[in-house]
Amino acid sequence: MKNILIFTKLTVKEALSRKIFMFFSGVSVFILVLFAIIFLSTDLEQMLPLLSMSKAGNVNLVYELVKAIKLFIVTPLFGIGLFLSVFSVASFIPNMLEKGSIELLLSNPVSRAQIIWGKFFGGVLVVFFNLAFLIFGLWALIGLKFAVWEPSLLYSILTITFTFAVLYGLIILVGIITQSSILAMMLTYLIFLIISPVLNARDKLALLINNDFVNKIIDVLYYIFPKTSELADITVTTATGGTITDFQPVVTSFLFMILTLYISIIIFSKKDF
Amino acid sequence: MISVEIKNLSKVFESRFGRTKVQALNNVSLNVRSGTIYGLLGPNGAGKTTLIKILLGSVYPTSGSARILNEDIANYKIRAKIGYLPENHKFPPFLTGEGVLRLFAELKGVNGKDINNKIDELLDLVGMLKWKKVKVKKYSKGMMQRLGLAQALVNNPQLIFLDEPTDGIDPIGRKEIRDILINLKNEGKTVFLNSHLLSEVELVCDRIAMLDKGNLIREGTVEDLTTSKQIYSLKLEKELSPGLLNAEIFHTGDATYQIKVNDTAELNSIIDVIRAHGINIISLNPKKTSLEDSFISIIEDSNKLTQKK
Ligand SMILES: Nc1ncnc2c1ncn2[C@@H]1O[C@H](COP(=O)(O)OP(=O)(O)OP(=O)(O)O)[C@@H](O)[C@H]1O
Ligand SMILES: [Mg+2]
Repeated sequence: MKNILIFTKLTVKEALSRKIFMFFSGVSVFILVLFAIIFLSTDLEQMLPLLSMSKAGNVNLVYELVKAIKLFIVTPLFGIGLFLSVFSVASFIPNMLEKGSIELLLSNPVSRAQIIWGKFFGGVLVVFFNLAFLIFGLWALIGLKFAVWEPSLLYSILTITFTFAVLYGLIILVGIITQSSILAMMLTYLIFLIISPVLNARDKLALLINNDFVNKIIDVLYYIFPKTSELADITVTTATGGTITDFQPVVTSFLFMILTLYISIIIFSKKDF
Repeated sequence: MISVEIKNLSKVFESRFGRTKVQALNNVSLNVRSGTIYGLLGPNGAGKTTLIKILLGSVYPTSGSARILNEDIANYKIRAKIGYLPENHKFPPFLTGEGVLRLFAELKGVNGKDINNKIDELLDLVGMLKWKKVKVKKYSKGMMQRLGLAQALVNNPQLIFLDEPTDGIDPIGRKEIRDILINLKNEGKTVFLNSHLLSEVELVCDRIAMLDKGNLIREGTVEDLTTSKQIYSLKLEKELSPGLLNAEIFHTGDATYQIKVNDTAELNSIIDVIRAHGINIISLNPKKTSLEDSFISIIEDSNKLTQKK
């Protein structure tokens, strides 16, 4: 446990030393300042009548407005946040495996599994804090402006971090096998942008393809691959006050993460460096 | 007491689909006694680094076994008592010299309280105290090497493995490092050293092993290895006719030769032949062989042997 913690700490330090994380935090600060300025320069009393024209009577207008703002925030946040996070952790494993550095790490009284867990938790922790800073900030600004302190937006800290952790498992696995950060990133973006959205639409695909065997394969693939599309939907739903109706994407993605980490540890433990 | 015990260790590296195989170590056995400095010599690619990596857990042996400090090498906990300076090591570039030592102290499980004093003491020992707060990405090669040595000592190890410790270090620094090694030995520590710099090995090592193409070809004290063949420089009155002598003899100048013999009996029989042909000997001087000479001749001999097979 202590050893995992040492590697977690080291990974956090590595992350903080990277420009991309500075950029990430810079973007977060910028967004917060931007929202603060917008909120300060708009008058709630003026906005409400505008909204009331399009909406019927007795709904809580402030609440609807807040919901719209959350929706507006959370969708790009999911995409951009994950994009930057993946980008910033992709080189962790390849860097660690460089000749001259890995021998030194392995010559310590630590097991190889502990090293992988440390890397994993370190990356997840950093992304969590970055997201927490940004999302908590936005939530507080919204609360101050509209006096709506309903916590749903904060859930997206957890859902986005979770989605990141799932992708990070894959990044670690590809990093261990290929020692290439580019490949790890490409594969992750491929899943994120193409594989998951396509598999998510498998009902429509089935109509198009009309071949039982192919559709079975697509079904199997659907359950194997991490479900970033569904996790994006879940993130939006929970952030705007809805509840998760189907936990299957969460569970299967979680299993995918455990599996990639497990295989990573096995391969890493057998390799010569 | 034995600190390193290697039994019939072999390593074959296979490429991913088994297309190429490299026999990096072939049935190597050797023991290192506690409290000595042990040198491992060999040409590039001989398998020296591979041997150390196996002992420290980053490479797995194909067959054979090894124990360090009386524990099987598979028991990674024993590495708490071991120091290691790999060849061409890299430290996390975002850490300072101090940060590097702190990291490895933590990894070795050194108790938190004494770390600060220990770090200053070690940085001072390797002449890097001034650079304590500087990020290692700004270090020169020699500075990295010095920090590497400090790192290898951060847990006050009983057994220290150094892979080319003086690589990239200036002559003064090398002398300093030799002194450090001798001090370690005087404190009862065991040092295992890989080196190309034979003259240095000669100066500090108690025993030496020579590795070539994965095979252990010689093992012994520096003296054993340097006196295995004697070389004499011979000056004659006139040139020898070729093929006269059945010995290892090299023409080095005007009627001067170098002869390599196994013992004085062989030397005397050569003199007998020369005298029997009525050639006068002007001078005959023994040449002290350096480790480098004997290294070269041992490697050459072993190559000849493998070629004959
Ligand atoms: N990870 C590896 N994968 C495949 N082959 C390897 C690996 N490491 C070493 N080798 C091969 O094993 C042999 C021995 O290499 P090693 O690094 O042990 O030599 P060395 O004696 O340390 O050489 P040098 O003096 O150049 O440092 C070489 O032929 C090398 O190519
Ligand atoms: Mg080497």
